[in-house]
Amino acid sequence: MHAIVAIKQVPDTSNVRINPETGTLIREGVPAIINPYDAHAVELAVRLKRQFGGKVTVITMGPPKASEALVECAEQGADRGILISDRKFSAADTLATSYVLARTIEALMAEGPVDLLLFGKQAIDGDTAQVGPGVATRLGLPLISYAVGVESFDPIARTGVVHRRTERGIEVLQTTLPALLTVEKEIAAIERAPLADVIRAAQYTPEVWSASEPVAFDVAKIGIKGSPTIVGKAYTPPPKKAGAAVKVAEKGVASTVTEALAKVKAAGVVKI
Amino acid sequence: MSDTKRIWVLIEQEEGKAHPVSWELLGAAQRLAAELPGAVVEGVLLGDGVEGIAAEAYRYGATKVYLIDDPVLNVYRNAPYAYGIANLVKKYTPEIFLVGATTLGRDLASAIATRVATGLTADCTELAIDPDKHILAATRPTFGGNLMATILCKTQRPQMATVRPRVLPSPTPAETGAGELVREPLGMTEADVAVKLLKVIPTDSGEQVDIEYADVIVAGGRGLGAPEGFKLLEELAELLGGVVGASRAVVDAGWINVSRQIGQTGKTVRPKLFIAAGISGAIQHRVGITGSDFILAINSDPNAPIFSVADYGIVGDLYEVLPELINQIKAQRAGHGAPEVAHA
Amino acid sequence: MPEKLTFDAIVVGAGPAGISAAIVMARSGLKVMLIERGRFAGSKNFFGGVLYTHALADVLPDYWERKPPFERPVTEQGYWFLSPDSVMRVMHKSQHYQKDPAESYTALRSGFDAWFAQQAVSHGALLITKTTVVDGIRDAKGRVIGVRTDRPDGDVYAPIVIVSEGVNNLLTQKLGLMKADLPPRLIALSVKEYIGLPAKEVETRFNLSGAKEGMAIDIFGDATLGLPGTAFLYTDKQGISIGVGLLLEEFVHHKLKPYEVLARFKNHPVIKPYLAGGETLEYGAHLIPEFGYDRMPDLAADGVLVAGDAAGMVDALHREGTNLAMTAGRLAGETAVEAHKRNDFSAGFLKGYRQQLESSFVLKDLKQYRRMTDFLDSTPHFMSTYVNYLNDAALRYFSAHGLPKRDMEDNIIKMLFQRRSFFGVARDMLKLLQGMRG
Repeated sequence: MHAIVAIKQVPDTSNVRINPETGTLIREGVPAIINPYDAHAVELAVRLKRQFGGKVTVITMGPPKASEALVECAEQGADRGILISDRKFSAADTLATSYVLARTIEALMAEGPVDLLLFGKQAIDGDTAQVGPGVATRLGLPLISYAVGVESFDPIARTGVVHRRTERGIEVLQTTLPALLTVEKEIAAIERAPLADVIRAAQYTPEVWSASEPVAFDVAKIGIKGSPTIVGKAYTPPPKKAGAAVKVAEKGVASTVTEALAKVKAAGVVKI
Repeated sequence: MSDTKRIWVLIEQEEGKAHPVSWELLGAAQRLAAELPGAVVEGVLLGDGVEGIAAEAYRYGATKVYLIDDPVLNVYRNAPYAYGIANLVKKYTPEIFLVGATTLGRDLASAIATRVATGLTADCTELAIDPDKHILAATRPTFGGNLMATILCKTQRPQMATVRPRVLPSPTPAETGAGELVREPLGMTEADVAVKLLKVIPTDSGEQVDIEYADVIVAGGRGLGAPEGFKLLEELAELLGGVVGASRAVVDAGWINVSRQIGQTGKTVRPKLFIAAGISGAIQHRVGITGSDFILAINSDPNAPIFSVADYGIVGDLYEVLPELINQIKAQRAGHGAPEVAHA
Repeated sequence: MPEKLTFDAIVVGAGPAGISAAIVMARSGLKVMLIERGRFAGSKNFFGGVLYTHALADVLPDYWERKPPFERPVTEQGYWFLSPDSVMRVMHKSQHYQKDPAESYTALRSGFDAWFAQQAVSHGALLITKTTVVDGIRDAKGRVIGVRTDRPDGDVYAPIVIVSEGVNNLLTQKLGLMKADLPPRLIALSVKEYIGLPAKEVETRFNLSGAKEGMAIDIFGDATLGLPGTAFLYTDKQGISIGVGLLLEEFVHHKLKPYEVLARFKNHPVIKPYLAGGETLEYGAHLIPEFGYDRMPDLAADGVLVAGDAAGMVDALHREGTNLAMTAGRLAGETAVEAHKRNDFSAGFLKGYRQQLESSFVLKDLKQYRRMTDFLDSTPHFMSTYVNYLNDAALRYFSAHGLPKRDMEDNIIKMLFQRRSFFGVARDMLKLLQGMRG
């Protein structure tokens, strides 16, 4: 069994702060982490490897620093990490990103058969949820997004049954393999890696692929050239004008609540 | 004809029922059309025996509906839907294409955009026509809602965007409406589809909540202290004819089902009344509730960011405040009769 | 059955002590595993500090070529004595401080420790992060032969373990090297912030001529509400490190919230203008061991050595810790290398480490100032009484216009004895002298 997981190193958005004067992100002191959904995708891949044998390859496009994320994946049990890194890739939107990842996966498929492609359902910095479906489309592979569970997986018969969460419930879908899954966190709980794996990962250096080696990417399709969208402007959301905050400790609970109810009524939104 | 700029809206349907986000988008499309000379608003509808929905789309402002009606489209699957729509796009070259940012819409839109090699802006909260360039300016929150970015699609067409349900107001349909129905073939058979739907396990009926469209939401966060705290919220919600929502923290902690989650990674809501109890109000949560008409926040921490978006804030112990709130409402009801949601 | 993981040496904790030990041992060809519980070395060590290059050079002679992420050289240093509305400054600036490399630098520890750990890795040490050592492993004779981590199959073995786990020295205690848990009066809590400001602003506000100048100030008195403790202000490249430390016991006794003490300090009329317009980029708290010389744990036992904060190697009076830790770590590493050469890991041999420390500044200083904590403990009014007095006296001195100077001088002396009896002052001074002289 060979599973390929595509991950992204992201700033921990729960720690992101904005400079209120310039409206720009303060990246200083913000830890870079593996996109949380992606970490669960790696965990699923490693579990399937333990069950069926085979290997797990993790790929990521990003700056040299993103190599750290691949080392963390190695700790989790991934066998091979590939960092696709080149200045030419910068400012890529989801279309250009899905091109680079799809071409990389094609190159890996040329080395030998691949059974499963895994992506997190979305990255917490961009929240687009577009790259996984984009790659599936480019490769012409079956796509199951928002996957929450793998009911069965048979790399020999090349079929699998996957649970997918939608608004109306859980869809139970059968697919041929290889297929591409974008996963929710429930897909596999992350277990703490054994010490031997951590030691192995600490000695592992991921491969680095550039825009020209070993895959020659079409320069018209990568980076800013290959991106149909641009950011026109970016700004911090204007703060809403807040109403008063009354302290129970000062007014007592009864009169505070009475006043609150009066405000709700005065706003005319709901009849009490 | 070449001057006609088609603004397309996906009429999302499942089990023969249109998703209301489709009508929200038709409303938005009409507002965009007013700013864009030569623009027409049209719908795209796929399914199996769903022609009836087209008539509804006309009432919400579509002048034309492109319909692919085929048994293969009976249940939503990415490949046949994306294939069919991409062919429509190639044939009719719309200028703008809007899709609801639902599970289905997000899955589908990125596949379409990739097939036709165009730009797609996900999860927009605001749509406008750039007055100088006459192109779509799609604004979306990014970095967990810390930053708003306005995205432009330079030259590729259509300019695609997904928009979350309830981010835009729901339009009122016209009494009657008429439009042109354009039928197109799918050009694909069941044998071509690799993914088969075996069954759907419906969400537990107790958990099935239409939180996005609720008029009153009573939501709880970590300040509840324990999952049992939701009982108190349920009581208040029931009293107000509303539903219970939650912050991501308590969903992650397993206190309540994910269908209740509000915020960046959950649902966007725009109730008439939103009561936040023990929710600190991280930006990721706040972006999901700012469409509410009235926000009442209760938190023991006077510095909780939730107060920055609240219309009225109570700094205190929610276990003191909520029972008092319930009591006072009951007391007032004793004289006034049953609750009723005011129609704005 | 997973294979038995074996190294020549295990270092617990990638702080200045542990990294120094790892570098020394790896350089001698030992197979070293350096275990850090944080996400990266330095992740548990926020914020600014002053680093002394002598200790670093002893560990890493070519450190300068390895481009350490220093903030600014310390070219001006001294003390501020703060009363509620005034300050008396005793600062020293000298051309002697202006050299490359300088004697000391301000640094942000998270970045510095990460760099320092990288030097250990480049010497061949294996750095393992996000892993906590929960216990030692001992053989039948009670000798330490490895450690147990919190990971699955997490046992790892080595004939020598260097414990540099920091102030929260649970392993040191578990190994029986520390007799009792520490009372709160022997641990200080330091709350710190790193405040971002443009370099130009930092330089203007502190009268620095450029990036090659920097200031390190220790502050006494009102910064700690007059309680026994110190505060500091260091200039960084693009920002200021500010912090205040008090014995844990004081926080508890006076019901103080650490953050409020810092906020109060930041709002002091003398301090506030230096921080105006800056943005807090990092905030956190750190414990500082002040056990003193007499309460240090055993530094060596069969198969184990202890170094750094874990052993209380902090000179609180001179806000020195990293240089003591680096020196102790280096000596521990050298001892381990020697032990490998002789194949003798017994307490008997390893005790040589303690002797080396005794003849270095590390234990000499700790011994000299061993009564300082006790002094402050028994003279809690010291900081408020004398610091306020200094400022009031200065005010009287500088504003004594139209008053006979003799009267003014008498006045100033009277002011002191109104606050404290003659014998009280005499006793305080004697104790202070004892504290300083050792």
